[in-house]
Amino acid sequence: MVPDRRPPVYNSLISIPEKISYVPEPAVISRITDLTETEKLFLLKKVNGNLAFSAGQFVQVSVPGYGEAPFSVCSSPLDTDSFEICVRSVGHVSDALHSLSPGDGLGIRGPYGRGFPVEKMKYNDLLVVAGGIGLAPLRSLISYACVHRKYFGRLIVVYGAKTPSSLLFREDLARWESDIGMRVYQIVDEPDNAWKGPTGVLTDPLKEIRIDPQRTVAAVVGPPVVFRFVAMELFNKNLQEDRIYFSLERRFQCGVGKCGHCQLNDMYVCQNGPVFSYAELVGRSEAAEARAPEDE
Amino acid sequence: MEKSICRVFPVRGLVTLVEQLMQKHPVMGPRERADQPGFYKFDWLETPEDFIPEYTTTTLPPKKAFFPPEQTLFRFQSGLPPEFRMIRENFPFVLAGVHPCDLAALDMLDRAYGHPPAESLWHENRRRAVVIAMDCMPDDYCFCTSVGTCDERFPCDLFLTNIGDEYLAEIYSSKGQQILTGVRTRGVRERDLKKAEQQRRLKKEAVSARFNSPVARLAGILEKGGLTDVWKQIAEHCYSCGSCNITCPTCFCFNMHDTFDFTLQGGTRHRSWDSCQLLEFALIAGGENMRAERWQRVRHRWYRKFLYLYRQFGRPYCTGCGRCSRACTADINMVDVTNGLIDGARSEAAGV
Repeated sequence: MVPDRRPPVYNSLISIPEKISYVPEPAVISRITDLTETEKLFLLKKVNGNLAFSAGQFVQVSVPGYGEAPFSVCSSPLDTDSFEICVRSVGHVSDALHSLSPGDGLGIRGPYGRGFPVEKMKYNDLLVVAGGIGLAPLRSLISYACVHRKYFGRLIVVYGAKTPSSLLFREDLARWESDIGMRVYQIVDEPDNAWKGPTGVLTDPLKEIRIDPQRTVAAVVGPPVVFRFVAMELFNKNLQEDRIYFSLERRFQCGVGKCGHCQLNDMYVCQNGPVFSYAELVGRSEAAEARAPEDE
Repeated sequence: MEKSICRVFPVRGLVTLVEQLMQKHPVMGPRERADQPGFYKFDWLETPEDFIPEYTTTTLPPKKAFFPPEQTLFRFQSGLPPEFRMIRENFPFVLAGVHPCDLAALDMLDRAYGHPPAESLWHENRRRAVVIAMDCMPDDYCFCTSVGTCDERFPCDLFLTNIGDEYLAEIYSSKGQQILTGVRTRGVRERDLKKAEQQRRLKKEAVSARFNSPVARLAGILEKGGLTDVWKQIAEHCYSCGSCNITCPTCFCFNMHDTFDFTLQGGTRHRSWDSCQLLEFALIAGGENMRAERWQRVRHRWYRKFLYLYRQFGRPYCTGCGRCSRACTADINMVDVTNGLIDGARSEAAGV
């Protein structure tokens, strides 16, 4: 994706339908790109109309007969005529998606949720921290920042993955680094012979980075274990709670605060989130109480 | 109670009333269960005599008239592009014999599903129905006086109270007025209102189970947190079967799933009732479970009913119907547990 030269038309007033019926709108797959062994990038286009969304919002994708699952939109919010989702095959719907081909049809509902507060993030340095597939929603935010480059100070991306072959959007990362002077730190947990970069966890490069806590905002997305450790590291850098944004993952079914699956204490992640500032999550025990099933 | 909205008709007039309603519309009302005599269910009436006015709390709440256990949302047809076609029932019907606690539940679900963005399914179904409610006598499980639903009159069109050999009918809408034209009624006298008042007093006195603290205080107790030992104690008995959620008149969580036609060219998407007590409820795609421990799920039910939804919509999301306690396979009782929490909070506050 090339930084857009067109005049920025960012639609911050996303309309929410007054009445929800759970009936999706038809869409067609325009392109499928293999990213890794388990992840594919889908370029989708709604049959009728565009998809106006903000970075961090998600859509409900229906594969007729298989069901519906939520995916963050990972393309630039400035491209509204078609949009991209990054799908890891881990479940019923995502497996079905992986078996489709360009030209196949889908259903789309949304966009839903509250994205990143880009207006509040402007006039700051932007520190993006991504673990694994967490880079997908952040790619949308970074694309936004690329187009509005002059409104942001330093742009820093810290991206960790399990293995070198599971690193996503490598071309995008390289281009962001060369074209707009973004500083990119990549790290993997289990290196292979060809890997020349550092080995370790996300917080290792984070420790080395110096930030100005008065004029930095952080956007963090990753598996639940990432949040606690990254937050601790950011606090060590004196970054305040309301300058750290997380995007949380839950199994949204309705996307509009009815089905109950994404309840996080008194909040619905699909409506109040999925993007929260750390300040909003403090004292809410279910934000990070997760344990993987194999711990039991 | 306003005298002007009341009429009185003889007890035998009820069958006439139901009969007349059935001539125009399908009527759902309390019937005896064929599989379990002595137990009742809301179902479509086949004859006016199916309607049992003196029924005790049904196994499933009347919310199923508007939000059935399994509901078809739309049809899909494969193709380029695929087609999605909404499916709706649209015949008008009557829901008769709803107890005050179940009326309260309808109000709660109106609020929950009506919260923006409002859900069209619930509201379209609600608009199709005329609701006739009637007063009741409690059993050992009922605790409506503790949650303030025993005198609920909203949202119904007509409310009936048995006053000896007559019914006092309170009219709450023009539809309710319209229904009453089907039977011979008389104007209300002071004596009738006294009898109804007496009836309500008797009912309240008959409620034996109660919370040891005003329900508004529960939110504060729960919000304070702690009490982990109490939760774990309850969880030791809980089987996580979800019977409490499935019988609850105010639970509104659901799951969506698809079914293919045998041609594999099209199919339908449904939604079905879900339960936050099941292990998979808060599972996320990465494999983590946000409430993997049984006690967290047990706690979640109380938090949601008495704290989260109480704060969001301004009333506790418990009607005091006692269905969860009746249905519990481990005899976990809503009132006992809640009182255990109140006691636990008191002793924690006292530093014991």
